[in-house]
Amino acid sequence: MYQADIRQPLVTGGKTYSDVTEDICRPIENKPTNSWWLGFVIALIFLFILVATLTWTVWEGIGTWNVNKTVMWGWDITNFVFWVGIGHAGTLISAILLLFRQKWRMSINRSAEAMTIFAVFCAAIFPLFHMGRVWLAYWALPLPNAFGSLWVNFNSPLLWDVFAISTYLSVSLVFWYLGLIPDIATVRDRATNKARKFWYGFFAMGWNGSAKSWGRYEVVALILAGISTPLVLSVHTIVSMDFATSVIPGWHTTIFPPYFVAGAIFSGFGMVLTLLLIARHVMNYQNYITVEHLEAMTKVILLTGSIVGLAYITEFVIAAYSGYQYEQYAFANRMFGPYAWAYWTMMFCNLMAPQVFWSKWARTTPWFIFIISIIVNIGMWFERFVIIVTSLHRDFLPSSWIMYHATWVEVGIFLGTFGLFFTCFFLFAKFLPVINMAEVKTIIKDKE
Amino acid sequence: MKSSNKYWKGIEELEQTPEFVKSNTNEFSEGLPLEKVFSNNDDSVRANRRDFLKYFGFSIGAVTLAACNKTSVKKAVPYAVKPENVTAGIPLYYASSSVSNNEGFPMLVKVREGRPIKFEPNKEASFYGGGLDGLAHSAILSLYDINRNTGPLVNGGETDWKTLDKEVIKALKSTASNGKSIAIVKGDSTSLVSDKAIEDFKTKFTNTDIISYNTISYSGISRANEKSFGKAIIPSYDFSKAEVIVSFGADFLGTWISPMKFHSDYGKNRVPKDGKMNKHYQFEALMSLTGSNADIRVPMTMGNAGKHLEALYSALNGTKGGLELAGNSIQQAAEDLLAAKGKSLVVCGSNNENDQMLVNSINMMLGNYGLTIDVDNHYMGQTADEKDFQKFLADAESGKYGAAIFLDSNPGYSHPKAIETIANIPTVISTAIAMDETATSAKFVATALHPLESWDIKQPYKGRYVFSQPTISPVFNGRHIASTLLAWTGVDVADKDNLSHAYNLTKEVFEAEVGGDFNASLEKGFVDNVVSTSVPAFSGDINPSLNAISSTQVGETELVLYQKVGVRDGAYGNTPWVHEMPDPVSKVTWDNYLSISMPDAKANGWENGDLIKVTAGSYSIDSIPVLIQPGQAKGTFGIALGFGRVLPETVKNDLKDLGENAYPLVSYKDGSAGYVIANPTFEKVGEGYEFGITQTHYSIEGRDIVREASINAYNEDNAAGNHVHKPAAISLWSSHDYSKGHHWGMAIDLNSCTGCSACIVSCSIENNVPVVGKDEIRRGREMHWLRIDRYYSFEASEAKDLSLGLVHGGDQTIAEGDYMSQEKVIDAYTDSVESTDYYQNVKVVHQPMLCQHCDNAPCETVCPVLATTHSTEGLNQMTYNRCIGTKYCGNNCPYKVRRFNWFKTNNNDKFDYHFNNDLGKMVINPDVTVRSRGVMEKCSFCVQRIQYAKLEAKKENRKLGKDEFTTACAQTCPSNAIVFGDLNDPNSEISKLYKDDRAYHVLEELAVKPSIKYLSKIRNKNETTNQNAH
Repeated sequence: MYQADIRQPLVTGGKTYSDVTEDICRPIENKPTNSWWLGFVIALIFLFILVATLTWTVWEGIGTWNVNKTVMWGWDITNFVFWVGIGHAGTLISAILLLFRQKWRMSINRSAEAMTIFAVFCAAIFPLFHMGRVWLAYWALPLPNAFGSLWVNFNSPLLWDVFAISTYLSVSLVFWYLGLIPDIATVRDRATNKARKFWYGFFAMGWNGSAKSWGRYEVVALILAGISTPLVLSVHTIVSMDFATSVIPGWHTTIFPPYFVAGAIFSGFGMVLTLLLIARHVMNYQNYITVEHLEAMTKVILLTGSIVGLAYITEFVIAAYSGYQYEQYAFANRMFGPYAWAYWTMMFCNLMAPQVFWSKWARTTPWFIFIISIIVNIGMWFERFVIIVTSLHRDFLPSSWIMYHATWVEVGIFLGTFGLFFTCFFLFAKFLPVINMAEVKTIIKDKE
Repeated sequence: MKSSNKYWKGIEELEQTPEFVKSNTNEFSEGLPLEKVFSNNDDSVRANRRDFLKYFGFSIGAVTLAACNKTSVKKAVPYAVKPENVTAGIPLYYASSSVSNNEGFPMLVKVREGRPIKFEPNKEASFYGGGLDGLAHSAILSLYDINRNTGPLVNGGETDWKTLDKEVIKALKSTASNGKSIAIVKGDSTSLVSDKAIEDFKTKFTNTDIISYNTISYSGISRANEKSFGKAIIPSYDFSKAEVIVSFGADFLGTWISPMKFHSDYGKNRVPKDGKMNKHYQFEALMSLTGSNADIRVPMTMGNAGKHLEALYSALNGTKGGLELAGNSIQQAAEDLLAAKGKSLVVCGSNNENDQMLVNSINMMLGNYGLTIDVDNHYMGQTADEKDFQKFLADAESGKYGAAIFLDSNPGYSHPKAIETIANIPTVISTAIAMDETATSAKFVATALHPLESWDIKQPYKGRYVFSQPTISPVFNGRHIASTLLAWTGVDVADKDNLSHAYNLTKEVFEAEVGGDFNASLEKGFVDNVVSTSVPAFSGDINPSLNAISSTQVGETELVLYQKVGVRDGAYGNTPWVHEMPDPVSKVTWDNYLSISMPDAKANGWENGDLIKVTAGSYSIDSIPVLIQPGQAKGTFGIALGFGRVLPETVKNDLKDLGENAYPLVSYKDGSAGYVIANPTFEKVGEGYEFGITQTHYSIEGRDIVREASINAYNEDNAAGNHVHKPAAISLWSSHDYSKGHHWGMAIDLNSCTGCSACIVSCSIENNVPVVGKDEIRRGREMHWLRIDRYYSFEASEAKDLSLGLVHGGDQTIAEGDYMSQEKVIDAYTDSVESTDYYQNVKVVHQPMLCQHCDNAPCETVCPVLATTHSTEGLNQMTYNRCIGTKYCGNNCPYKVRRFNWFKTNNNDKFDYHFNNDLGKMVINPDVTVRSRGVMEKCSFCVQRIQYAKLEAKKENRKLGKDEFTTACAQTCPSNAIVFGDLNDPNSEISKLYKDDRAYHVLEELAVKPSIKYLSKIRNKNETTNQNAH
């Protein structure tokens, strides 16, 4: 491939095609390292916490949480929006950046997409288990039934959520799998034992690497990218409508769809950065995930963080301007009420902290980026907490005003979803190529 | 078969061979190979036909036996012979009388399939109002209390009546031979049947002393009346005729004497008619329910009540004397009283005889006797004088009594000396229906019948009789108190001709005392044989009382022992509903506490939830949590009586060890019970106690939720305070069409609503709302479908300029006397003034809040499964079976009236109340689903009542009549503040109220179009300053 001299190479270290294959297949073909085991076991412990707390919730009732007559959604929906938000970067990177022909995406899109899928798994737990009767969750699907003329309510944003998220999950899954096929075939071809040959062969779906296959592959990838692109916008738009279509001051705002989408991309990139910085360090992929990549992503963080910050300020100004006392109070209460600490945490993490990325040093120093990425993750969790809990806990009638603090069960479920997420991620890192070998090979210049 | 068959099965048939003909007569032409099967030679089964039958028989037997194991058999047994009048699904109503608080009070008992399930007011008994309070409603659960005694007990062990009677008679007879006496300590009920039995008992056992005992004493009033008019009585008060009411610490709407009657009387003049409504002054120490409704409320220390009464007395006389209160309010009250002579009422909650003497002379001066006060048809309940019981205690200590019978009384709980004293009496007998403090130390428990199982005639007022009839067969092996007493005199109390002894006795008493048609009277529930009232001659001398008052040393601080609206004296304190019902003012459930004023809290450095050791007189309570109560007078501390019951071991729920018993703090100086104790001492012993409180934010934040105006503004413009300009609401939805059929609506008058919370309990019982207990309420999870919001507004004591910053609306100028209702303003004001004394002056408003049944209901659009929908009659309906519990509806409800079932509340040991045992479940209303966990619930406008009334009308082929039925809350409201009905009926009460100038929707700017209108509150007060406008 031709590479202009003025461009920084996207993969450094003078890697050849064979190096790429060797480097990326190594974790799959070798025994897991000690650090993998350590991480995996910790993740499993947290997964166990998830199973235990969810079992307890279903066994005893939602009463094991601290949600109450006024704040009926607490950590559950906060976590849901948090995870769905994280699930945005993957598709954005693989679909939108693909359409914009941003080649730097190639070494990170696989893991970003995997992250998306695992994050959506985690997200799906919350709307399911926040139901009083989770065993009847299928009633939210428009299934023909024998209960009489029972049907779902198409007016309800929760139903839109069901469609939005299931669509997003299925498209993301297909897109991700499609991208994996050539690489799985590579692993299959290199396989030295029967089991590996069989399973990778099975999932490679008879990939033969012919020009025809490649041609179809690229067309399908482009089509899926086209389908996914609106989904990136639609999913969080619809999630935001859970709030925007309600009557609660602090929820009932038209700014929510763009603001939520920007926030989702912001948090998604925050999480991608966190994960890649770990993977890069642990798996020695510094030559594939270069500082160049990190810098590109920090720029996205800076942009979306600023959009989100602008939205915070806009919301506040509009509330003040509205002349509507409930709205005004809701925002004054965010800033100065009993949950002000959460609001200012959010403001610091999302609006102020990313502004350091105006500095080149900050954008190119991995350990520093890592810290900021964690801050962004924390900030985005607090954003959802602020929106959900501070709006609900003091709404129209002061007689119902109340405080809400999570119980250990709610905290346990949240921590547990990290267990699920990382368990999936560790398994992914062990069994599938974390970098798209086929695509990366198109952006390196093999001297041979 | 000789037939014309043209076909044959085989050649044999065609030929009709003899073998074929023979075999064809057999059922199985070839015979069964039984012989072969059962007698084979291969050792497998050696059996012949007999063996087969044996095996067969054994197998059947074995299977039958196996089938006999204990799989639970659930029976739905139809009536083999249908009892007269009982039709499954159709309720029966019996006129009876209240079973709580020693009050005779007519009411109806709703009975379904032989089970009493609810009390409803007897609307015909207009003298008594026509409402029922929370305690009266709750008392039904005492019938289904699993801790009831199942029969007579001797030394705590079960026995039969024969044995008990034998032993008791022996013990009673031995008293005379030992030269000892028998004491009958009777509760202060006004039962004529028991009185008759006691009389007969005394004829037989002449060595009997009869002692009346009342938990709460009103002897101050009766003693004063004895001095004034020669009659030791509590008069009958008529608040409905009083245009000016002045109360010195009498919580007559909540707890004083007979609040159910006072409530409805008070309510009659509370809504302005022809520009007039009653004017209510309340001078009080604690913030009572009554005080929260007063037009002018001034904090006063109870110890000074006499001196303030003297000031009123002097002001009425035109002289100077006594102690004036803030803002010359006593002078003001005197002026108003003088202008309403004969149409006013002055009452005082003090149990001090001298204070009451002053009250009598004031009322005399005002000419209220014979008009608002009736001493002829006087009150008969709660007239016991504690000096009798004090004498009993002294006598018992000296060994006078060989036996004591506690009839429907429990001094073991409410008198600190009772338990140790009765230990001196050899034979102690109690008639408790469930083990109480006295029964526990009694040798014999002659378990009585529950009032709902008994016949009785009560005389709550002289000449006014109310009747009780059994509405259920005795649940356990109890016996009517009167029968028990008479059985001990040797009377045969067995049933005669299927009629119980108690019935015959009741009839006998009826004929002797009341007269008339027994059955008709029973059906009606009450009989009034009153005489016309006269003006008594005041024969008392006021001067000794005035001297006594002026020489009284009043303490720096005082401890006021009061009753809570729900629990009252604690007699029925073991029914969970009264505890779950929030206190109308503090909104605390399931607790009593040390109620203190903000200045005292600041001075002592205490905060809500600090634990305090309280010492007053010789007794101390080791640890009681503090609650800061706005409106409470500085220097006064309050503790509610009625808590700290010692219940049987089997009680494991929140009722166990509930609160602190404050009765031992009552002082018995000079032979009279004192509920105000001077100079208590306090010591902080801990902190961090968490109350189960249903409303934690106290101010209304200046929001347009409650509208109010002063009477003069109202008289100028009936819509005063209701002119709020809201932007025209544009709806995306097409509105519902209610042109056909019914359209249900409700109106709630904030003027007549006193916040008494009876509706909450009535609603809970009608709709099977579960009891969740203190811990769940701490988590903000009470299940009440109807709540009463209480908001305070603080009166500024001095002018201040507050700088609140941009987000709080910039600078605000507060003038003296302005009312502040925003948290930030109150906080800023608190920071800027030196003392918090202004916390004593608050304006209170109560607002019932329930599902508003919005036409454009925000809850309906967001439910993903259509579990909440709109009916064609304007109801917002909840389909429990369809609900999957996303709780989005609850979040999106602007009124926050939806309640979620966080847990399973039935058959769950975590909620060990009546839903957790078979007996308690008898009270469940069969017309209303008991909700499972994980579903949302809320007010249904009593849809089961709507449906029932519609079906009845349909069966009778007629249109549903005007206001033919109503919801449980509206029905029970003692002041008729809640009106429910059909908006499509132009003549209905609701249609008229909807057009009232005071009517408005709460949060109407949201365009949710609620089906409930509130009528703005009018205060009978010349407002000099307005609330800070918005």
